[in-house]
Amino acid sequence: MNGPTISGGNLKSKIQNPQSKTLPMLWHISMRYLLAHKRQTLVCVAGVTISVMMFLAMFAMMQGFRNKFIIETVESNGHVVVDDEPRERQTPILERAYPDPHAVLVLERPKPREQVKQIRHPVGLLAKIRALPYVVAAAPEVTGSVIATYGTKTFPIEVIGVEPQQQERVTTIGEKLVEGSFTRLRSTADGVVLGQGVALTLGAHVGDAISLVASKLDGTPGGRAHARVVGIFQTGVVPVDYSRIYMLLNDAQTLLDKKNIVNRITVRTDDYVQARAYAAQIEAIGGYKTESWQETNENFLKIFAIQDLITYIITGAILVVAAFGVLNILIMAVLERINDIAILRSYGFSRRDITLIFVIQGLAIGLAGACLGLVLGKLMIEGLRRLRIPMEGLVKAEGLLMSESRGMYLTAFVASVVVVLLASAYPARRAARYDPVAVIRGAH
Amino acid sequence: MATRARTTSTAAATTPILRARNLHRILGTGDAASHILHGVELAIEPHSYVAIVGASGSGKSTLLYLLGGLDRPSQGDYDPNDRYVPFDPPSRVFIDGRDTTELDDVELALLRNARIGFVFQFHYLLKEFTAQENVALPMLKRGHVSRSEALDRAAHLLDRLQLGGKLKRRANRLSGGEQQRVAIARALANEPAVILADEPTGNLDKHNSERVAEVFHELAAAGQTIVMVTHDPAFARRARRIITMEDGRIMADDRPPDGAASSQVGPQPNLPDANPRALS
Repeated sequence: MNGPTISGGNLKSKIQNPQSKTLPMLWHISMRYLLAHKRQTLVCVAGVTISVMMFLAMFAMMQGFRNKFIIETVESNGHVVVDDEPRERQTPILERAYPDPHAVLVLERPKPREQVKQIRHPVGLLAKIRALPYVVAAAPEVTGSVIATYGTKTFPIEVIGVEPQQQERVTTIGEKLVEGSFTRLRSTADGVVLGQGVALTLGAHVGDAISLVASKLDGTPGGRAHARVVGIFQTGVVPVDYSRIYMLLNDAQTLLDKKNIVNRITVRTDDYVQARAYAAQIEAIGGYKTESWQETNENFLKIFAIQDLITYIITGAILVVAAFGVLNILIMAVLERINDIAILRSYGFSRRDITLIFVIQGLAIGLAGACLGLVLGKLMIEGLRRLRIPMEGLVKAEGLLMSESRGMYLTAFVASVVVVLLASAYPARRAARYDPVAVIRGAH
Repeated sequence: MATRARTTSTAAATTPILRARNLHRILGTGDAASHILHGVELAIEPHSYVAIVGASGSGKSTLLYLLGGLDRPSQGDYDPNDRYVPFDPPSRVFIDGRDTTELDDVELALLRNARIGFVFQFHYLLKEFTAQENVALPMLKRGHVSRSEALDRAAHLLDRLQLGGKLKRRANRLSGGEQQRVAIARALANEPAVILADEPTGNLDKHNSERVAEVFHELAAAGQTIVMVTHDPAFARRARRIITMEDGRIMADDRPPDGAASSQVGPQPNLPDANPRALS
């Protein structure tokens, strides 16, 4: 009757019970427990689903606006800009007097040099920059501030003098025209292409003549021009559309009193993500302050980083609330299953098996909630994408800009499953710690 | 089957399945500590049918749980000077010759699964599972048979216990007597070396108590080793060995003359054959 005696050697090897065989049974028990309380389980799953859905929708929205801003900024401003001022320390004289590297040196009220800043030998520098292997194109520019007047309206703006063909190779400004043509700058005397925001503010249209007055360094009025509007561009980036006009390089040099002067070179590279490194190399070649688009838009990028953080915090909070729901329900489940735990222990379930039964319940809730959340999140993104809500803030758009990535789906899935698993760990460990004898005696 | 079981070699028959050596158990700590068992010495041989009797609080159930590896022996106590003094010789339980104190939680659980079948006063079935599934679970845990084989064997065991018509019924929809018989079938699932029963009739009415007692008697007659704790003198008298406990000590260990107990076993037309092969 009595089975073979088990003695000597390793018991685990004598009684074959690999975890791989036990797991399906533990999963089966867990599912039966979960389905015994369908309503509670559904609430748990719904909590996880909502948090995943909210994360996806919010993240897609944030990412959409960020991408729009970055792409339009990069494409309309160029990847790297060589400026006309040497990147030098502001306190070289003080540093010679006080060489201590830890000294705090402050120069108060320095008087700027009264001379027109420019890039010396721009043709040579352009040739050097264009020869770099990662440079796709480089274009000369002259920039300055002018006051635009149309009728009774005046507006301070930045004028950029460009060679249209070269400019179209470094930026996509030529493709952003909503009226007129960028190349007409070359065929029209004192032609000007306005940002849509500038055109709206002034009330000017293609064919209208606007008055431009440059200001000298001392603040007195400088050159004047009666420019003909030959085009209106819209990048969608509000700070660009509301502050910028383009003229032919020669016309702008005349208007700004910067004859034959180039004070900026815009560069397009083969990879805008690498712009920081490229800018440093170009700066080393030219000796002029060279900024990548990231450096120029550092403040905006910081805002986006903060937005991302806020998204993580809000959706994380929702997920934590959902996790507490799971924790609460699993604690209740453990209390309800004390007798079951004792009997399972009596016929050979180890503490690890009991832990797994409750962890599997957490895993199942997490997986179900995460999968449902991914599907509903995707549907929500598509729904929001279809909404036509005109928006004008940092970027201008006709609706919500939703941008998806595999990473965000993966993050939402992994984070939700991991958080719910962590939430199930405490009740699972508590379940495993119950002393079966105490339960059977009725001490619990 | 019973005859074949009893014809095993004398050496094997005298090797105890369970053995307690200087067994102590102290529950609680500090001032609340209670010394439940005081150096119990006990051996349970194969095919024995043992009843442990005694007043409430005498340590019967504690002894049973320790013998089944569900609890662990205490290894020492504090003397009046608050010094920890280990028990000498060490307090030990051996299952199939294995010292349970040397086994970790997983090893001990595996040993319980393979060699011990517990039956409790409050049957403790998993209420979300059917009678058949409740019986199959220990087999599935052991992993030596497939799910369908386990369910088949569970059906067979339940059928032998006159529950063949209630295989698919949820445990909480069975009567108390039926639930206890399901619990007995579950205890038999892995062909255990010994069944440890704690007041198996304590929560049943007279009719169901008689029925459960009859099942135990039939199992014992077939050679199944059984150790049970009971308050029911009539039930206890059917055992072949009666251990009386008082204040955590064995006060009497009565073994009726050989054959006396077996002579009480009547015909067993529906006897669940305790031979594992015959059951499967």
